[in-house]
Amino acid sequence: MATILETRHADVMPLGHAPQDNYLTHGRGFLSWALTLDHKRIGVMYLCAVCSAFLLGGIFAMLLRTELLMPKNGPEDVFLFTRDAYNQLFTLHGAIMVFLFIIPGIPAALGNFILPIMLGAKDVAFPRLNLCSFYLWLVGALFFVLMLVTGGLDTGWTFYTPYSTSTSTAVVTAVFGAFILGFSSIFTGLNFIVTVHTMRPPGMTWFRMPLFLWAIYSTALVQVLATPVLAITLLLLIAERTLGIGIFDPALGGDPVLFQHFFWFYSHPAVYIMILPAFGVISELITTFSRKHIFGYRFIAYSSVAIAILGFLVWAHHMFVSGQSAISAMVFSAITFTISIPTAIKIFNWLATMYKGSISYATPMCYALAFIFLFTIGGLTGLPLGTLSTDIHLHDTYFVVAHFHYVMMGGTLIAFLGALFYWWPKMFGRMYHERLGQISAVIVFLGFNATFFPQFIMGAKGMPRRYANYLPEYHAWHVASTIGAYTLGIGLVIAAIALIWGLYRGKRAPANPWGSATLEWQCSSPPPHNNFDAPPVVGDPYAIHQLVYDPDQSAWVPRQEKIVESEAMLERHTDAGTTGH
Amino acid sequence: MSATADPSTATADPHGTAGHGHGHDDHHEPFLAHHFESWQQQFDAGKLGVWAFLVQEVLFFSGLFCAYAVYRMLHPEVFEYADQFLSVPHGAFNTVVLLFSSLTMAWGVRCAMLGQRNGLIGCLAVTLFCAALFLGVKAYEYSEKYHAQLIWAGADPLTVSPSGMQAGAGHLLELDPEKRAVGEQLEERLASTLHYLEFGMGVVGLLTLAAAVGIYYAKPERIGLAVVFGAISLSAIAIVIGAMASMGIHHMMHASGHEATADSEAEAAHMAEAEDEPPVHTATPGTAEIAGSTHGASVKAELSRPQRLGTFFGIYYAMTGVHALHILGGMVVLTWLLARAVKGHFTPNYFGPVDYVGLYWHLVDLVWIYLFPLLYLIG
Repeated sequence: MATILETRHADVMPLGHAPQDNYLTHGRGFLSWALTLDHKRIGVMYLCAVCSAFLLGGIFAMLLRTELLMPKNGPEDVFLFTRDAYNQLFTLHGAIMVFLFIIPGIPAALGNFILPIMLGAKDVAFPRLNLCSFYLWLVGALFFVLMLVTGGLDTGWTFYTPYSTSTSTAVVTAVFGAFILGFSSIFTGLNFIVTVHTMRPPGMTWFRMPLFLWAIYSTALVQVLATPVLAITLLLLIAERTLGIGIFDPALGGDPVLFQHFFWFYSHPAVYIMILPAFGVISELITTFSRKHIFGYRFIAYSSVAIAILGFLVWAHHMFVSGQSAISAMVFSAITFTISIPTAIKIFNWLATMYKGSISYATPMCYALAFIFLFTIGGLTGLPLGTLSTDIHLHDTYFVVAHFHYVMMGGTLIAFLGALFYWWPKMFGRMYHERLGQISAVIVFLGFNATFFPQFIMGAKGMPRRYANYLPEYHAWHVASTIGAYTLGIGLVIAAIALIWGLYRGKRAPANPWGSATLEWQCSSPPPHNNFDAPPVVGDPYAIHQLVYDPDQSAWVPRQEKIVESEAMLERHTDAGTTGH
Repeated sequence: MSATADPSTATADPHGTAGHGHGHDDHHEPFLAHHFESWQQQFDAGKLGVWAFLVQEVLFFSGLFCAYAVYRMLHPEVFEYADQFLSVPHGAFNTVVLLFSSLTMAWGVRCAMLGQRNGLIGCLAVTLFCAALFLGVKAYEYSEKYHAQLIWAGADPLTVSPSGMQAGAGHLLELDPEKRAVGEQLEERLASTLHYLEFGMGVVGLLTLAAAVGIYYAKPERIGLAVVFGAISLSAIAIVIGAMASMGIHHMMHASGHEATADSEAEAAHMAEAEDEPPVHTATPGTAEIAGSTHGASVKAELSRPQRLGTFFGIYYAMTGVHALHILGGMVVLTWLLARAVKGHFTPNYFGPVDYVGLYWHLVDLVWIYLFPLLYLIG
């Protein structure tokens, strides 16, 4: 009895007392974190930072959904917020979620932690640049905070001219913040590209790279190629507002549509910065929890690159009603359709991976399944928006809002949560609360659909986006949507509890709790400071069938040993048999 | 390097410098980061990184080039007319300066590869000097444009919106058309601004030179700081020389008789337009009289002043301004390299930073190679 109690006690020891030297215990004190060059610590700092931003953006979302509970009678009728305050709410929700959370979410937080270990490297190629990226993010976030206290922002996250050059809100502060965040993103991408090219250990060929790395690599390409265009655009916007260089101002000979072209030349590829890492996560989760080799590895890998390339050629589908020639609208519409091909390739390969797999419904898999369902709806509703005739009707309605929330939130956020549950044991050495995690996945899934599915219907009926008021006929749908948003919020809180509970009370995580074959599961949980003392043995990252669960050791062991053991036992039996004769 | 050449090596590690064994890395290879296996891997990573950075830079500038293309297509008459206000000799001088600095930069990389410390220091210093010279000429050009009120649309009182309202209200810089300078007046004001610039830069140059010499003798171990002050001094003096050279070029152009003087004539046209013409874009024969019937360059002055001259200058300042910021950034990293070169950090094994800065410098040069014809040579 005493021994059992002791082991239980050992299991719930606080993190600081982890017996072996790992990245969390390697160096103590504030400065050992603030000045760290360790990609794992930078990843953890990013994780805290982007989650705080997500919380802030989420609060704005809840507030604006609450405002929409009631229709108002005329412009003077106020429910909770004035019309101006409402404009600020949706702008801040969008800007914070896009620039501070979704774009850095998976690549900078989880990618930073996982990429070098998955690759078998000691660190990213440029650790100091990596830390610099993090501080750039922090400075950018500070500018956003400064913007919040000096007048807010009401332009929508897109900063469209000419409104952004004439409104009295703190546009320059916000735009400069986004400019700095852009460089944070560029340097992260640059670091990852160079890491993947030059830091692979012997044996890690391109086609032995896990699909998460292919996805992060494709993302990094987009980050480096698209973000500088946003940077110069934002710089010109600042010059326009402060000096009046007239480049986007029609009164001075400029062209506001040029701003839209520049903006979407970045912001459409940026959609793929947001979603490609999520694809990578889902590839890992599906294969691990189906206990089956990934189906169509090369197709998934190449489709990531194809999406990254095609993503650069579709930007003007955001501008079908902004005034462009019919021929260019047709071309952009056609290319928009082609981008659904590589995306569908991924979905089909995931389904084929699950087919006849031995699926377990651990929390990460619950999120992965939710992803496939929600992302498919999000993707398919993109088609009527990419079609010229239907887009005229649906443009700037709730249909668009629902579409991109299904892709960005139902896609990226759900994958982010799945990835967080999946790698949580690796990051902190503790298992999360499995049952709570599963419950959170179900509630998030239901709440999400309750929030955004009604918005498809409202949008199709003509409810315009960004309006603080609506006609009474939309009332029931808005109420449903708001109740869904609250449910979603509760689900996210439960997910957070399941994870944080794990930090303090969770079981100590083994090196490989899921039986995955990628390299990060070869080092201890949490990983040691140097990741690998000797270069790891690189094999097929999806040779999951080679690993079997051994209940005696409570760990996943290579099948080979198991076979050898059983053969040895068989031999002993046979020997016994022969001697018996 | 043989083991005996370095006594400390011989005692610490009798097996010489071969291998990358742990424990001695810090001693033998102070600039090889722990997460790289070899010099080659570190160099390759840095090189790929700087190329990726240059790709990013190209896309950063591409936004400006794109805006240039769109506005030149939308307002060809503005670009045609505005071009006459840019001085080709000054632009050409700057082009030569930058091309020469690219040569010295490439030469410096070669010196670093061969381990020629003095050659490297000399080449980096000349490159830095050229960079500052370029900025000196640019300072002259900006001052001249400012006094002639050739400025971006929002601050240009003569760029008028279709509604008839004057542009510029509410912006940081707002000019008064009454204060526009032409001819003699422009010369005077320009000379006075440049005198202030030269005096200020001269003081900075002398003070930092004194600081550099002082540190060098008082605290020889802080040689890096002395080099930084020295580099600032060199840059300040180069800016003074650049401004003086620009003034010289200006006088040479105007001394060569009755030809040229396109600037003042064009400005006169510009001025006349401001006084006489309603803000409508029509041909104005009046300008031809003012421009007179002198030779060559004045023909362009017969074109009417387009309504939106500020559109060209908005793009001109955006492009050359962002380029000048890149020159400044280049000067900062050149100073850093200079300090490290003086300290003897670079060896045939470790010259990556020189190579990377060299690549960056060539890109900054290349951007100017495009800017010069697109802005100065389109008339």
